[in-house]
Formats: sequence, C-alpha cells, structure tokens
Amino acid sequence: MAQNINPHYSSSSNPEKQNEGTIKLKDNHAVSKRLQKELMELMRCADKGISAFPESENLFKWIGTINGPLETVYAGHKYKLSLEFPNSYPYAPPVVKFVTPCFHPNVDTCGLICLDILKDKWTALYDVRTVLLSIQSLLAEPNTQSPLNQQASYLWPNQPAYKKYLDEFYNKHKDS
Amino acid sequence: MSSTEPSQNKTWELSLYELHRTPQEVITDATEIAVSPRSLHSELMCPICLDMLKKTMTTKECLHRFCSDCIITALRSGNKECPTCRKKLVSKRSLRPDPNFDLLISKIYPSRDEYEAHQERLINKLNMSHSQASLVNSITEGIKLQSQNRPQRSRKNQDETSASNSSGNAEPAQNGNSSIPKDSPSTGNPTPSGGQSTSNPASVRSTPSPVPSNLSSISKNTSITKRAKSILTSERSEESESSDGRTEGENSMDTEGEGEPLNPNEIELVFKPHPTEMAGDNQLMRALRDSSVRYLKTTANASVDHLSKYLAMRLTLDLDAELPEAYRLLNFCIYVAPAPGQFVPLAGSQTLRQINDKFWKVNKPLEMYYSWKKT
Repeated sequence: MAQNINPHYSSSSNPEKQNEGTIKLKDNHAVSKRLQKELMELMRCADKGISAFPESENLFKWIGTINGPLETVYAGHKYKLSLEFPNSYPYAPPVVKFVTPCFHPNVDTCGLICLDILKDKWTALYDVRTVLLSIQSLLAEPNTQSPLNQQASYLWPNQPAYKKYLDEFYNKHKDS
Repeated sequence: MSSTEPSQNKTWELSLYELHRTPQEVITDATEIAVSPRSLHSELMCPICLDMLKKTMTTKECLHRFCSDCIITALRSGNKECPTCRKKLVSKRSLRPDPNFDLLISKIYPSRDEYEAHQERLINKLNMSHSQASLVNSITEGIKLQSQNRPQRSRKNQDETSASNSSGNAEPAQNGNSSIPKDSPSTGNPTPSGGQSTSNPASVRSTPSPVPSNLSSISKNTSITKRAKSILTSERSEESESSDGRTEGENSMDTEGEGEPLNPNEIELVFKPHPTEMAGDNQLMRALRDSSVRYLKTTANASVDHLSKYLAMRLTLDLDAELPEAYRLLNFCIYVAPAPGQFVPLAGSQTLRQINDKFWKVNKPLEMYYSWKKT
C-alpha cells in the first residue's frame, strides 16, 4: 500500500497548493461566477458569427472568434481574439486584442482595438457576447476620424482597393 | 409611471409606446396566468451579476433594477450613469430600495437560500477543478482507490512491492500509446458551461498536465502504465504463461489483469461519428468535416453524460456559423465498439472506467462512436 504514496507529496506540497487555491478562489468568486454564467448563456444560444470559450482552465482568459460581417469587405474572413478579464470585471472592461492580424482603421499592428465601449464607455452590462458583436460591427463601420492604422483609414473610402489589399493581408497572415 | 416621489415639475422622457399604452386590467377573480420561467428569469435577474436580484435597488429616473451591492460598486467604479441606459445617476440618492420586488422574488422562490447554497457548491467545485489542487486531489483519490483494491489481490501476490519493479518494464507500452494525437490544448474544460456537472475528477483535462513532475511520475509509473500493461498482459496471458523467464513483477501484473483491470487515473479515447447513423446526416457531417474524429484523454471517472456534454459544446464551438439553428444544442447517443461493426449504446451514468472494464480490454485507446439524437 505504502509504495504508492510519495512522502514528499503527501506531507508538504499538497497543503500549500490547496491554500493557494482557496485564497484565489475567494477573491475571484463573484467574477468567475459571472463568467461561468456568461459561458453557459453563450453555449446555450450561440450567435451567428461569433463564439468564445475559455482558453484553458483559467476562466479569466478566453479566446473568441468573429466572422467578418456579411456584405462587407470582411465577409468570409475569420478573426481570433483574446479576452482577458480583470478581477474588477464586469465593473472594468476586459482587455480585448486581435490574435489574428487584422487590417482595419481602428486596430493597430499589435491587435489593440480602439473602441469606446472597451474604454470610457464601458458599462457592467456589456459582456463577452456584446463585446464581440460590437467588434464585429466595428469591422463593418470603422471610425476613420481617429485611426490607429493610418493606411487602412486612408484606403477605406476606396472599397475595391481596400478589399484587394485586405484579402492579400488576410491570406498572408491568417495562419500566423 | 406612477411615482411616490414629488415629481410635479419633472418631465418624463416617455416613448410613444409608453405615452399611448393602456394599463393592464387588474385581475380580481381566480384567473391564473402562466408565465414561463425563462421570461420570468430575465425580469428577476440583476444584469450586472446575472444572478437573481438581491436587495433590489431601482433607479428613480429610469426604473432599472440592480442588486444593491452591484449598482453601488458600479457607481463607485465607473461612470455616474445607469449601466442599462446611461441615464445620469448622480449618487446613491438616485436609487431607491424596492422591497416589493424582493418580496415578489421570495414568493416565487421561497427556497432561494437553498438554491443559492447549491449553486455555490457547484461553482466551488467547478473552480476547484480549475486549480492545480484539484488535480492533486484527484490523483490522491486515484491512488487511494488503487490501494483499496490492492489487498484483495495480494492474496495471489507473494511480494506486493515487486509490483513497483514493473514500472520500468511497462514504460515502452506507455510510450507506444503516447504517440496518439491528443486533443488540442485549447480543449478547455467542459464543466463551465455544462454547469451541472458536479464532480471535479470528471473534468476533461487538456494535456499537458500542470502537475509537478514528481506527482506526474507517480501516476505515470505506478498507476497508468502498470495498469495499461496489465490489461495488455491479461490479453496475452497464455503466451506469457508459456515463457519461463517471467519476473515476479510480471507475475503480479498478470493476476491484477485477471482481477479488475482498472485504470484509476486516465483513459485515452478516440471519438468517431457512428458510421451508419451519422451517414444520413449529410448537413452535419459536411459541417464537421475533419473535426469529426476526436482524441481525448480524460479521467476514468468521467461519465458518458460528461462526454456528450463535452461533444455538444466542442462541436458547437468548432462549427459556429456553419451550422443552421436546428443543429445547435446537439444531443448525442454514445456507443462503444467492442468488435468491428458492433455498437453498444451506453447509458449516461456509466463512467469511462466501467466502460473500459466491460468492453475494452486491450491496451489501446477506447474507441467510441457518437450519433446525433434528433429529439
């Protein structure tokens, strides 16, 4: 019987680990509860064109996908995004970034997104679903007045040229 | 839009609908109106915590409801506006408690405390399954189980400790196994959205495991590999019986194989669509394409129910826009194929360990099939 129990494991490492677990659990309890509920709701009635799921066992980091909105230059494209939730979620917005490089007036080369609801216009009523839907509609309707990507902003009015460049960009980077 | 507040000089911003609607007739007889729990849920829910309203506060101007704690935190941490409609909320004084609403909730859900305690337990368990500690726990449990089974066998074994010698021998068997592709690391955990699944050992864990190396070496060397080998050797016991050069270690493994070939920690399995039942389902199969076959490694405590939940979630996630609405929320029937062309449907409560013991005695990943239930 005894040969299966590692003395090191049963004496020291285990209690430490469990303590760490409970402390973390207490702090983030309400946040993970809300994230659980969001996930359940997302799974129950998935919207067309968006999806999201925790990246690993850490509920505070999700990977979302957005399909380019139909009848726009982004139609047929599929973008991956990362969502990181702070401990103050939902009172503070998640940090949302494009993982798939995205050529867009309001997305910079690091994937950072300039969107008011992810900054000063955030309210606790937004959730993963509405954030992804907002970003999806941002793809279709960029704000070219305050661009992060000058080139995209400049090109935007010329839709055929924009589409040509965008498709090349997407095909080159979609797997990176 | 009646208010007890002195609101003589207030101008309400009413929509056309609000201006022209006629009040609902008050019901005075025994008439009953059925309301679906779902539509009710959205009324009784706090939009911030997504839980049932607790100590309801209503905004005085726009009449939106929140839990007291939620709205106060929101006002303290963000813009001074209603989270629902962005109407200006100067301070706590723009809110009023709504005891009638609290009363209504307690009438509808008299056992709310009980319900909440239950939810709490569920979430705690889910969170536990996210932490390393849970992994350690489930391994402890596996080891305990193993040692419980051991005394029964030791009748046949002269020297119990010799079993540990076998770990070296068994290594190649495990290595052969590990070439099987694992499900991608993004597999995640099916429990969060399942919500109902309660036991942490049943979580489908993505590899590689975050266990410290000393722990994983316990489980690998002494439990998984040895068991795996024992299953193998029980199949080939006649062959090895004839060979003379058997060590004591192999001897003990043989007897284990004849007894109860348990794999207390993990089971690998291959999931394929049911060849005949799914063949007719062209739309689904087309959408599934190459993601129709799945390789999983999970704990032996996971049940068939856990697997179907996992499948439904995983497939919905992978297919997202490609599937029409009717195909969402898939229910699965799960089969094991003990022999080619033979499909045994499995009950939801069966664990992988039971299935493995009953139908699958060879040392290779459990082959399971799924088909989509239309009902």
